[in-house]
Amino acid sequence: MKVLVKGNAGPRFLNSVGKFRVSIGEKCFHCGLCVELCPARVFERKEGFNRVFVTSPARCLGPRCQQGSFFCQKKCPVEAIEIETDPQWKTLGDFRWTPDLILTTWQQAETGEIPQDGLEYRVGNSGGGFDNFDFLIKNSSSPSDQEIDKIDTSISLNRRREGKKISVPVPWYGAGMSFGSISLPVMLARAMAAEAWSTFTSTGEGGYPEELIPHGPHIITQIATGLFGVSEETIKRAPIIEFKYAQGAKPGLGGHLLGDKNTPQVAIMREAVCGTSLFSPFPFHSVYSVEDHKKHIDWVKIMNPESLISVKVSTPSDVDMVAVGSYYAGANIIHLDGGYGGTGAAPEIAKKNIAMPIEYAITKVHRFLLEEGVRDEIVLIASGGIRTAYDIAKSIALGADGVVIGTAELVALGCVRCGNCESGRGCPRGIATTDSELEKQISPEWGAHRISNLYSAWQKQLKILLCQLGLKNIEELRGRTDLLRRINE
Amino acid sequence: MYKRYHIETAAAILPSTKIGKFQIIREDKCLNCGRCQELCIYDVHKRDAVDPRRMAEPVSYLCKNCFSCIQNCPQQALKMVLSEESKNLGNSYWMPEKIHTIWNEAEEGKIPVYGAGYRGPFKGSGFDLIWTDMSEIVRPTRDGIHGREYIATAVDLGTKPSWIAHFERLSLPRLFQIKIPLLLDTDGLRLESKNLVMAIVKAASELRTLAFLDIQSYTDELEPYLESIALRIPLESIAAINRAPWKEVNLIEIILSQKFRIKELEQALAELRKHNPQALLSLGLASPFPLEEIFTQFQEKRVDVLNLHANGQGRTLDGNDFIADSIKRLHQDFIKKAARDEVTIISKGGIAAAEHVPKLIICGADAAVVDIALLVAMGCRVCSECRPESCPAEIQKLDPELGRQRIVNMVCAWRDQLLEVLSAMGIRDVRRLRGEMGRAMFYHEIERESFESIFNNGGLRK
Repeated sequence: MKVLVKGNAGPRFLNSVGKFRVSIGEKCFHCGLCVELCPARVFERKEGFNRVFVTSPARCLGPRCQQGSFFCQKKCPVEAIEIETDPQWKTLGDFRWTPDLILTTWQQAETGEIPQDGLEYRVGNSGGGFDNFDFLIKNSSSPSDQEIDKIDTSISLNRRREGKKISVPVPWYGAGMSFGSISLPVMLARAMAAEAWSTFTSTGEGGYPEELIPHGPHIITQIATGLFGVSEETIKRAPIIEFKYAQGAKPGLGGHLLGDKNTPQVAIMREAVCGTSLFSPFPFHSVYSVEDHKKHIDWVKIMNPESLISVKVSTPSDVDMVAVGSYYAGANIIHLDGGYGGTGAAPEIAKKNIAMPIEYAITKVHRFLLEEGVRDEIVLIASGGIRTAYDIAKSIALGADGVVIGTAELVALGCVRCGNCESGRGCPRGIATTDSELEKQISPEWGAHRISNLYSAWQKQLKILLCQLGLKNIEELRGRTDLLRRINE
Repeated sequence: MYKRYHIETAAAILPSTKIGKFQIIREDKCLNCGRCQELCIYDVHKRDAVDPRRMAEPVSYLCKNCFSCIQNCPQQALKMVLSEESKNLGNSYWMPEKIHTIWNEAEEGKIPVYGAGYRGPFKGSGFDLIWTDMSEIVRPTRDGIHGREYIATAVDLGTKPSWIAHFERLSLPRLFQIKIPLLLDTDGLRLESKNLVMAIVKAASELRTLAFLDIQSYTDELEPYLESIALRIPLESIAAINRAPWKEVNLIEIILSQKFRIKELEQALAELRKHNPQALLSLGLASPFPLEEIFTQFQEKRVDVLNLHANGQGRTLDGNDFIADSIKRLHQDFIKKAARDEVTIISKGGIAAAEHVPKLIICGADAAVVDIALLVAMGCRVCSECRPESCPAEIQKLDPELGRQRIVNMVCAWRDQLLEVLSAMGIRDVRRLRGEMGRAMFYHEIERESFESIFNNGGLRK
């Protein structure tokens, strides 16, 4: 599809982070052979200098170069070049978002292409769930462009007979991230990318900034337990309304915005008094049953009869019952948010221990909805730790229709997952902050381009994968657990 | 006046715990331009106080891994590596991450809260094979920060009759209530230090729980805190002991060696009952199975508490079982005998993080006993070998007041995290969590349930 976002998507930092450390020893007599040899342009002979500099060590391909005729270390006449794994590499990322995944997500955001330099861009290193699945691919040859073009990656977001038909060309949309948890430029970037791709992004529970109104047809209004920033207007404006019962990163716990984060801007948006602590309780204090839940949905439907209803829940052991309850209450989308989901701030104990990983929840809910005979009337969306195109495909193979993307979009904007979104002035990289100075690091256009590029790279990967699996569209992949295998057991 | 249980926290800073996870290296090619200082919002980079033309050595422990300085240095002069000091903390069970977490909890008394999603491995061993449940639609158990203190965390230690046999002979059960399902233990790394013992005992008194103390470590200075001491006596030395404390404490634990004589235990129990009829009697042993036999044999004599001793990594001495599994079996055995309430089950060893407490209780314990974690709160680094004379944290010189506050802070953070877990489940009283295995998900079960029909022994399905 034609993507509307244009412009620079290059890195916004002077130096890149790479896997290898390259250094030139004292023996070097600056012959410049390495400058000529290196296809990655690691070395440079700067204007006006009679020396060779290692200006871009992050680009070094490492030992994979060895076979090539251009391997600098072997060709150097005085063996002055040293290449080793950069100890700094180990400080980047974590088990779920490995340094490889962070770097390849940055690459995809820059180029819009599938990473080619040998870094692992498909799975992380958590040792279970998605990271322990692989596809059983019969035909691993790369399909032709013509074949790829024929593949359809769109999914429908309303499978009921009644109501508006909405479909998205890619099996994902953006997660709820509130104003306050992320900056306005980041919200705008996400909205512009959603618009370019005819998909959606969600307001989160922090109000609906005016600046987003031009992108309205692609913005989901979230109604969460604190009802911050929810008004008749914002409900009427939205094509999809998302009820957030719980969040995967803090299932069963409320949110708490500290007083000093409740700046005048945030307070206006949330229709609250600035400087006060704001609580988003758990649960909805008016919902103690499926009937109460239906009442909520009916209430929104009266204000906005055209809207689709999504119900976002986390993953307790009875998540299957919750899903069926939502179906009977009239929801179009049941959205499961697993424990790996992102957050602006959540107790570590909750992220790690409360509620089950998303892989189990998808399987459980999909099966139960099938047994109940209602699977084809509701859309099952998974979120919480969907990092790559392969995670998307695996979620769908386990039984989801599509996914919701959060953290990966922020990584595309340069997030390093340091986890300090909530401390002090907020995100030092200008993403999860409302600090007027820090947020200037990101322009909405640049951000939209990066996110859009990531989408583009993902769609290509999905299309190729579907070709290799012998499928014509993404909907055929749903529930095809027979196409999965476990890597270790 | 109505007063609810409250833990008073206060900042308690211990310089020896200021070990960062990252080390920032400023290489010689630095031009002292000061760009890093502009960018760092954590004050890692500053100009030299004496010579402001130069940049000072980076204050690495403040670094939070954001890469801003590294990616923006015009000279590529800054590097970040994992700090060796941090990597060398603890061992495979007491991982550096756990130690840092306890240090932070002990410093402020706050729940660890961070942004971004979970970053650890999918599963681990021991407690890391359990997820706790939540309820999507529940009665609210709390509102905001203050409301959650209405969730009850007190547990009763002691024996409750399963039924009333004779009304005329009904006597009230001997119970001792602790306000949190946590008992403290001075055993830890077996360090002889009056300061550390004092810090732990005072903390137990303030927290209104009990601290286990070996009788040899008892000194007269501890007398004001006798109410909060659970005295531990090896079986073989009971006859020889004739000192005041054991007549006044609320709980006495008899340590059984692997080969003890039943006769001897019987005599000891009778002796203790005679001199201190109010105290609860506890049996401490390293294996869960003899414990159960002993309890059956002494049902008439009513041992009140069974304390399963595991090693520092949560493994019982025989069979190498993990405490969570041993407690599960012990709990279920007593349920089968319809005698679960006739005994209090607690367990010591391997409790290394806040989440271990609710998980142990879900497996069937009434309360958890914390030992090494208390030392960690006081600055211990869980070195492979504990040599008091060369302790890197100089833990024996610790001011007992600071130690007490740090323990109180840590316990407050753990209690608050327990409340988070309970409120997510919609449970308003920790006593209702005991043995609620249906409110937890166990890795092997859920993996089987979800994927067995999909993957056949890891092999391929057509």
